[in-house]
Amino acid sequence: MRRQHPARIAVLVLGVLTASGCGVKTAGLDVRYPEASVTRSLLASAPPRRVEVLPVADRRADTRRIGTREGSDIVTSRPVTDIVGEALLLEVKKNGHTVTGDRKDVILAGAVEEFRLDVVGGYSSRQYVGRVVLAVTLADPRSGETLLIRRYVGISRRVVDKDSDNSWRGVMDVALARTMHDFATDPELASVMARLLTAFNP
Amino acid sequence: MVRTIPVVLALVALSLAGCASSTPPLPPSARPFDDVRRVLVVPSGGESAFAVVEYSAEPGRTFDEILKWIPWQPYLAALRPAAQLVHRGINWALEADRAATATARLQGISPRSVVAQSMVRTLETTGWFDEVRIIEREPTAEERRRADAIVRVAVPTWGLVRVRDVEAGLLSGFADVRGQMAMPGTGVVLWEDSQDVTSPEQIPVETFLRDRDFARQEMMVVLERAGQRLANELLYSRSAGR
Repeated sequence: MRRQHPARIAVLVLGVLTASGCGVKTAGLDVRYPEASVTRSLLASAPPRRVEVLPVADRRADTRRIGTREGSDIVTSRPVTDIVGEALLLEVKKNGHTVTGDRKDVILAGAVEEFRLDVVGGYSSRQYVGRVVLAVTLADPRSGETLLIRRYVGISRRVVDKDSDNSWRGVMDVALARTMHDFATDPELASVMARLLTAFNP
Repeated sequence: MVRTIPVVLALVALSLAGCASSTPPLPPSARPFDDVRRVLVVPSGGESAFAVVEYSAEPGRTFDEILKWIPWQPYLAALRPAAQLVHRGINWALEADRAATATARLQGISPRSVVAQSMVRTLETTGWFDEVRIIEREPTAEERRRADAIVRVAVPTWGLVRVRDVEAGLLSGFADVRGQMAMPGTGVVLWEDSQDVTSPEQIPVETFLRDRDFARQEMMVVLERAGQRLANELLYSRSAGR
């Protein structure tokens, strides 16, 4: 029987571990806003509107990373603007509004002002702080007039004994969820949406 | 033997791949309560503990540096836990001292009442409820009979916490809050949630401990934010699963 070279086995095992994504890593956090948890909220109290959702802008001071850990960058697996944009679309649709660029009643523009993960290193434990700041502007498509500007801040704190990308992602997931829940339950936003004249009834 | 290696590797890969799977945040437990129109909000849960949490790595790291110079393993094994205990003891004493100073500055503020009042204001603005009322005691039988739901609000911990590694001396206000909404009579829980609420701003801890008005203002803002957060999560869960 031919003997397998130990170095080859070691390389294979390392390859498998790398591909599996298990353990601590500093790249590609799969932060997301799960569709299953989205519910109708205060935003649904406005009559159904046709909303053009513009691509989310990135207004972060540092767009290359969301944090650092022991000299390495922590980044998300998808662009931050895509993650937040997807969450915005889910909320608008779930609350009974139509996302369209045609005969729109209102234009919704989002901008990510912060999307960061801070790791506060103690002696035997670490605290993760996730923070998402989203600016939302509603504008009238006919006049271009700004109807509302709001900022939603979602922060999540968690203390852990051991570093792991799962914990990092969990903290960012919660921070994003809190931001989106504040957006969907904002009475001022719902009120502006309710007052809009529709394209069909100018 | 050689043939089994790829199989074993494949199994290892599959089992490890699970570690990276996305785990969505646990949603607060809730059932639909669109029919709830009259709500009583009751601050409850006993006293709130004020804490100053700095996650200081010192003097523990210095102890570790010293321990590195000890060549005898048996001594090292015995001294390391002792060093950890001393580290915790020193930091506990420092933080407890600051917490006591801060508590004196914040005398008269009832965290659970401030959170409950802020929650009431937030719920009122929605127009979803006919009546949202706060009562600072247990509701009477008549009040229970008239209410569709009773929300209990607790603030087990509040205080200051370090939220960034690089900025020593700058802390943020925080409040860890809990809310539960139940139907009077049956006790059926319609919604419950807990939130770690942190101020977006950082403030110098020394100013906080020195300036009574500044300290009170900062903590009121955090507690009001906590009430809004709790209310927003309650509102978000109103049509849960629909």
